[in-house]
Amino acid sequence: MNLNDILSNPDLLPWLIPVGPLLAFFIIMLATNRAKMVPATSHEYGGHHPDYDGMKVPVVTLQSRILSVTVGMLGTLTAWVLSLITVSNAFGAQHFGEEVFGDRLNWLATGVGEFTMGVLVDPFTTVMLIMVPLAVTMIFIYSIGYMAHDPRQSRFFALISLFAGAMLTLVVADNLLLMFVGWEVMGLCSYLLIGFWFEKESAYKAAIKAFTTTRVADVIMLLGIAYLYASAGTLSFRDILYNEAMLEHLASTPAIILGGWGLSAAGLIGVFLIIGTIGKSAQFPLHVWLPDAMEGPTPVSAMIHAAAMVSAGVYAIIRMYPLFEAGGNPHAGEFTTPLMLMAIVGGFTALFSATIAVAQNDVKRVLAYSTISQLGFMMAALGIGAYIAAAFHLITHAFFKALLFMASGSVIHGMEHGEHHVHEHHAHDEHDEAHGHDDHHDHGHHFDPQDMMNMGGLRKTMPVTFWTFLLGGLSLSGFPLLTAGFWSKDEILADAWLGLTHGYGAPAFVFIMLCLAAFLTAFYTMRQLGLTFMGEPRTEEAAHANLGQGIVSFTMTLPLIILAFLAVVAGFAGVHPDFPLFGAIFSPEYNWFHHFVGPTLLHEPASIDFSIVPVLFSFGVALGGLGLGYWMYWRKPLEAGQPDPLVSILGTVHPVLKNKYYLDELYATLFIQPSQWFSRVVVSDFMDNGIIDGVLHLIARVFTWIGDLIKNLNVWLIDGVGDGIPELVAIFGTWFRRIQTGRIQQYMLLVVIAMIVIALIFAVSSGFLVQAAG
Amino acid sequence: MTILGIDVLSFLVIAPALSALIVLLLPSSSKAIVRWAALGLAVFIGAVAVVVFFGYDRTNPDYQFVVQVPWFELLGASWHVGIDGISATMVLLTGILTPLAILISFEIEERVNMHMALLLFFETGLLGVFVSMDLMIFFLFYELSLVPMYFIIDQWGGPNRKYAATKFMIYSIGGSLGMLLATQLVGWTAGTFSIQELSQIWPAFQGTQGVFLGIDINTVKALAFVGFFVAFCIKVPVWPFHTWLPDAHGEAPTAGSMLLAGVMLKLGAYGFLRLVIPLFPDVWIAQVDILGVIQTNWAGIFAFMAMLGIVFGALAAFGQTDIKRLVAYSSVNHMGFVAIGIAVAALAYGQSYINSGSEYTQDAIFAMNGAVLQMFNHGLSSAAMFLLAGGIYHKTHTRDMTQYGGFWVKAPIYGAIFIFTSMASLGLPGLNGFVSEFLVVRGTWPVFTWLTVISMLGLLFTGGYILKGIRAVLHGPFNMRWRGYNLEIELREVVAIAPLLVLMLITGVVPNWILPVINDTVTRLLGG
Amino acid sequence: MIPLWMYLLVAAALFCMGAYAVLARRNAVAILMGVELMLNAVNINLVGFWRYQQPLNMAGQAFAAFVFVIAAAEAAVGLAIIISVYRQRKSVIPDEADTLKG
Repeated sequence: MNLNDILSNPDLLPWLIPVGPLLAFFIIMLATNRAKMVPATSHEYGGHHPDYDGMKVPVVTLQSRILSVTVGMLGTLTAWVLSLITVSNAFGAQHFGEEVFGDRLNWLATGVGEFTMGVLVDPFTTVMLIMVPLAVTMIFIYSIGYMAHDPRQSRFFALISLFAGAMLTLVVADNLLLMFVGWEVMGLCSYLLIGFWFEKESAYKAAIKAFTTTRVADVIMLLGIAYLYASAGTLSFRDILYNEAMLEHLASTPAIILGGWGLSAAGLIGVFLIIGTIGKSAQFPLHVWLPDAMEGPTPVSAMIHAAAMVSAGVYAIIRMYPLFEAGGNPHAGEFTTPLMLMAIVGGFTALFSATIAVAQNDVKRVLAYSTISQLGFMMAALGIGAYIAAAFHLITHAFFKALLFMASGSVIHGMEHGEHHVHEHHAHDEHDEAHGHDDHHDHGHHFDPQDMMNMGGLRKTMPVTFWTFLLGGLSLSGFPLLTAGFWSKDEILADAWLGLTHGYGAPAFVFIMLCLAAFLTAFYTMRQLGLTFMGEPRTEEAAHANLGQGIVSFTMTLPLIILAFLAVVAGFAGVHPDFPLFGAIFSPEYNWFHHFVGPTLLHEPASIDFSIVPVLFSFGVALGGLGLGYWMYWRKPLEAGQPDPLVSILGTVHPVLKNKYYLDELYATLFIQPSQWFSRVVVSDFMDNGIIDGVLHLIARVFTWIGDLIKNLNVWLIDGVGDGIPELVAIFGTWFRRIQTGRIQQYMLLVVIAMIVIALIFAVSSGFLVQAAG
Repeated sequence: MTILGIDVLSFLVIAPALSALIVLLLPSSSKAIVRWAALGLAVFIGAVAVVVFFGYDRTNPDYQFVVQVPWFELLGASWHVGIDGISATMVLLTGILTPLAILISFEIEERVNMHMALLLFFETGLLGVFVSMDLMIFFLFYELSLVPMYFIIDQWGGPNRKYAATKFMIYSIGGSLGMLLATQLVGWTAGTFSIQELSQIWPAFQGTQGVFLGIDINTVKALAFVGFFVAFCIKVPVWPFHTWLPDAHGEAPTAGSMLLAGVMLKLGAYGFLRLVIPLFPDVWIAQVDILGVIQTNWAGIFAFMAMLGIVFGALAAFGQTDIKRLVAYSSVNHMGFVAIGIAVAALAYGQSYINSGSEYTQDAIFAMNGAVLQMFNHGLSSAAMFLLAGGIYHKTHTRDMTQYGGFWVKAPIYGAIFIFTSMASLGLPGLNGFVSEFLVVRGTWPVFTWLTVISMLGLLFTGGYILKGIRAVLHGPFNMRWRGYNLEIELREVVAIAPLLVLMLITGVVPNWILPVINDTVTRLLGG
Repeated sequence: MIPLWMYLLVAAALFCMGAYAVLARRNAVAILMGVELMLNAVNINLVGFWRYQQPLNMAGQAFAAFVFVIAAAEAAVGLAIIISVYRQRKSVIPDEADTLKG
């Protein structure tokens, strides 16, 4: 089959989507990652590395840099183009949803059957294929500028390509196992990217934390996959989720463990899979890794963790949604165990991490916690059955959060730029020429370019960053009517409100939690904007912060502008038709997003009636939060040296929030230290070296003792006899040899004597003497 | 198929021993000639093994390449060799790993002839076990493989080699003792040593049939079972029979560790599959009361031990600071998955033998497929891990990981390969380890549900120790103590590890290049 | 006629003299002569018994003749040895020829 056939066949095309980036990864790793050796103190090896005196270190050559960027870019663009072709095929297809694009191959022999691997493009995949390659391409363009001077640039692009390939694999997978493959490979990439500056302790610790925390969830998810495979006999999405008999079967079978508590197989599988998502999408209590993940190369890995990887967790549960719902009906108040779990975890996490975000001063950490919070929105939405709303929020969130992270990366980059400027200036002033430029990576004075307290007034020196950041922030806050975040958040609240009006518990809980969280979101976004961009620079570095000129500046601002546009307009794809004015403009016939994604499910979710109450709540919380933030941080910006007004307002609560409710410390005490102690002291030293080897050594000692005993017995008895006989012979011989003098006459005398004796004996015995005598 | 006038399997068994003799007779003054000769011979034997693997016809249900020559007629033993899908996989693994181990031992400078000869001789023992269809021959080669390894550890090992070699030898011999008795018991009672015939007649013995010295047949079976069971448990090793392994692996030279972990551990698992499951279906599922409280069967006990191996192996590895011991404990962890898969297969086989059918047959096929594939995969990844650990030990002369740090700064290629291999060992999806672990978990879950759940703890800590290893070796600021050292991987090492890396990736992405061979045999065996 | 016992007495005396010479003399030649005396004592006995007991049977004479031959041979070999030893060691005393003694 030639390439043209594959390209022209919409069923086969999805196979090729992840191939480009994956191929780029291998090409970069194997071919275009050539290094040259330079002294570790040279300018080229600058940045995030310690000094190594008198040692040469490998640095990527210029040729490799250019080739790597080209190869990586080509791979990503291929994926994007193929995705766009697939998307257009999907838009052109009849009854898309019922009919899907897909293809499968035998992959694993299982007894008489085969496990098949395949690709699937259904409506939900299609919207992901709009979002993911676009976001990935933006990252790529952005990181060309951001990583331009890193000594290991090629490796970075290889990893980004692998990351993109894995994410695309996950998106086009037609079964849970292939999805899990992409899922875990992304986990690996995030580990390697968080720890990209692996010489920094905080970086590799964060990397290990991320991998370990998500692995806690992943091993449980693996159980869920195994269980699903065991009970359904297949892992294919279509075979399970688009198959009522199968879902009914799963929902009516009691679970293999804990079945006594009324849990169905579908329920237990659902719980296992949701735990996987809790890890990947950083939900409470496994959210701790995400804020630390900000140690990676500043904007890019952070953005990946926000837009791609953590989205994968939510993507997975949206994908598997019918399974969670099986046996219940959230719109009729029947919440299955997985749904309840999602509603509670999501609702709680949304508010919980929003409160933490309020008290953070690190520009990226605020965003990290807001990501956790927004993912909580999606989880909660799924928990109350708001399938479409969750999917919609996933897409809009990806756009505005990608924008925010990249913008914050620009801020940090600008601050570092300012720092260099200031430092070089001082170096010239204070030192003589000999020290000169080489000192630029001397981090003697611990300036933190990510601390918002060091910023202020950046809107003047970094206007593009400011305006895009502002648009992203407003979208995140759900600024009414104009931003994408408003529409998707509003839809979630509308769903929750509907449940609340029916008197269901879970939607009521979700509604309250999300309203509070949305209020805090608007507030901390305003705080962040105010601290970063408003007023006068609070440090000298901030005053000199800018992105410079040329290619770096260009590649770092272009994605911001594109994403800012999307962060505003993406929301109009999902406006409720009955919404005043906007409904008439953007959804004259129907809600496009709902109409398109709905057929992913066997039973297309019904469109809820428009209600003004949740919209008013949306308005209220967003504007309220923004207003409060404006009043505290924007109207009267912080002066240099002035403390955050929040500290005095919150009082004793503030340190708790700032320290993230001390969860890291708690986990360290509860899990990490005990497991280290247990593995080293108990298992390794006590059990293996102590008990088992102790027993072995005891046995060995007993046998040695018995051996010694037998040896002694041998010496005494057997050797006694054995040695005794020759000894006796020797003694006898020694004594007997005395008669052997060698003198012939003596011998003859003996002969004579012997003859006489013999004669006498003969005489006596024969009675001769007696006769003679007688 | 014949080579040089002898059938191919006998050739595979004899050729390494002959090669060992040739290498031994070469002049010891020219190390290069000895090394290249050994490598050339091993590569040739490996090529034959590959040909045998691909020549194996998986659709044919019989043993293949069978040769039977009378040998010890008085006892009913004969030179009887042949392979099925499981043996074919193991022959392939042995054929691949031996030349790589020889290539790695180019770094040995003392008594090169003897070292190379022992490695080749070791291959004879391993291949002999995998192809033998006669219990006597099986035992013979099983024991034969011990001797070269003892000398390799004892003569070329690390600082504590005498202790390790002695422990290894005594432990293994201790296991073999029971196995010898069991072999005699089974063979003598049944009147034949042919494994195929034994699988038919031995489990069928009832009542007064085959009474040995007037002892009840069930007692005889139980005794023979325990003999084999303990011997193979030691070899696998299953917790708590594993403590010889960290010492032996830790002290052995790199090539020794590679073959020890890569192939020798599989002898135990292979013994379970080839002998203990077919010969004792009734014993596996016989009721066992523990203190009158817990009612289970031997399969359950074995699965429990395997679970402990998975969990404690991972935890113990997590607690190490010696890099080779860490990798060694990872073997305990990974072989635990093989063992738990075997337990499922044993249970299903026993049930279908007694009740002519088992509800777990389908699960057991998954589990056993997974177990055999895991044997192959662990062979690849543990050999590669030992190669890398040995490489860094060879360059720094310390195995203490706390002395390392930041090697990725100076050794980027080594770092990339180290991470790739670590991830394969960790079971990252997309690489080989995941496929087999998934199959085992899938097969075990419906049968030993809670044990599987607890095993997940082991899988979690697998991540823990792998990351700990990567962190200690590669991450952190460069330890300036090694400033003047060349830490980058050598070309010879890259050549030796490259085939393993390629196989890891291929097996992870397209497992069907090897799995159907295993799957067909397993399916027939379990009657699925 | 002289009775047999007289011959026997002479023979016994001669034998005793010969035996004494063999046991007591240190000179090898003298020892050899003692041996000759003992042999001749035997000869007297042989001839004596033949004449008085079995005159028709020639065995006694024949044995005597054998003994002569043996005596002659013995004397020849013995003397040759003695001369040889004497040449080597300048001594004819057998106790001094002790190189074989351990």
